[in-house]
Amino acid sequence: MVQVSNQLLWEVVKNNNCFMKKVNGRSRRSGTMRFSVEKNNLRSISSYKHSGIASTQAVGIASKNDSAVLYTKTASKCATTTAIAEIPLNKPFAKVVQTVEKTLSDNYYRRDLKNDALAKFSAVYQANRRAKGVKKVVPVKKGRA
Amino acid sequence: LTGEKPPPPPLPAVFEAPIRPDIVQFVHTNMNKNNRQAYAVSMKAGKQVSASSWGTGRAVARIPRVGGGGTSRSGQGAFGNMCRGGRMFAPTKTWRKWNRKINTTQKRYAVASALAASAVPALVMARGHKVDEVPEIPLVLDTSLESTKKTSAAKDILASVGALDDVEKAAASKQVRAGKGKMRNRRYTLRRGPLVIYNENDGVAQAFRNLPGVELCCVSRLNLLQLAPGGHMGRFCIWSQAAVEALDTIYGSEGKRIPSASMTNADLARLINSDEIQSVLKPAMCNDKKPLRKKNAIK
Repeated sequence: MVQVSNQLLWEVVKNNNCFMKKVNGRSRRSGTMRFSVEKNNLRSISSYKHSGIASTQAVGIASKNDSAVLYTKTASKCATTTAIAEIPLNKPFAKVVQTVEKTLSDNYYRRDLKNDALAKFSAVYQANRRAKGVKKVVPVKKGRA
Repeated sequence: LTGEKPPPPPLPAVFEAPIRPDIVQFVHTNMNKNNRQAYAVSMKAGKQVSASSWGTGRAVARIPRVGGGGTSRSGQGAFGNMCRGGRMFAPTKTWRKWNRKINTTQKRYAVASALAASAVPALVMARGHKVDEVPEIPLVLDTSLESTKKTSAAKDILASVGALDDVEKAAASKQVRAGKGKMRNRRYTLRRGPLVIYNENDGVAQAFRNLPGVELCCVSRLNLLQLAPGGHMGRFCIWSQAAVEALDTIYGSEGKRIPSASMTNADLARLINSDEIQSVLKPAMCNDKKPLRKKNAIK
């Protein structure tokens, strides 16, 4: 594998990549929101800071088998299979918050994404609880699909 | 192929070539035009009438009109692009410039760049290939890959290496084309899968070619249109060992020149935070002053 700097990667990838979704308008001027569907993008926004592709360090939180999982990019250079480390987040909420903070902040791993990570985990956690039936699903008013 | 992993050989120098999406895009758009067949309207279309204008004073528009009589065609306007049955505006000609010349050095730069990009997992994933299960990029398989004879064997090889996801994605993406192309012998569209690159064809081409999305290429004849489809770099390439070794002879001191990067270290973050630069910088500006909110914005 070739080591390419993050900035260079972002310049190549920022205008077209398979994960990008543009919503509302077709150009930057007309107020498009550029979203990103990558796994390791915490806010799903297509930008250099949040990009999971154009960074050696990226964080992702997703739901797996009814519980949440934290993904971090390892320092592995070649392999794509060992490129991402998985940390299961099965513990009660407060404990998991500690885990996330330890893995990120205390390791100096993308401290700028700490709040985004906690927010995402919150959302995933609630979604899991609603799916399991532990928490009531938010009722959608009649007429709003 | 047998499942063993030999010690990884040193990466050929091409893979360190500068990644230049602008050059690749330029060369690609021009190379893409070289496959075109001419089309044009007949030279005589719309002109095979002897029509002349009636001039003024007859309460009709001055467009040339078909002479004679006895048929509904007589008196009708002719020759103009606005007339029914007239010649079109700017009739298309066969001598339009269909193909494009590109400087050889530029073509080689683009191929080197595209090869380098195919070695970066991030770019391959961003292009849309499913390479999560692939153990390593660039993916190099044993030379015995070149003597695969059966497509079933080819499929097994790809499966064992994690490349089958990409092939399956291509297979699943087969759709009838939107637009008139479907009636013009371009009925289906398909995503592109992996590009298998070999040194000598001992059956690889025949074995792999029927798998949807898979394309084959010989190292000595690398095609930019395959390495960077759509002008976008980062095709998922599967190399045979012999092909990778051949790269060092094709691109090197005796072969084609590998372009040099204008910046050897492109990592801006490291550069900015390095001691050499930080020691020479002025201290950071402190902008604590928050603009007060003016009660009366006019004064």
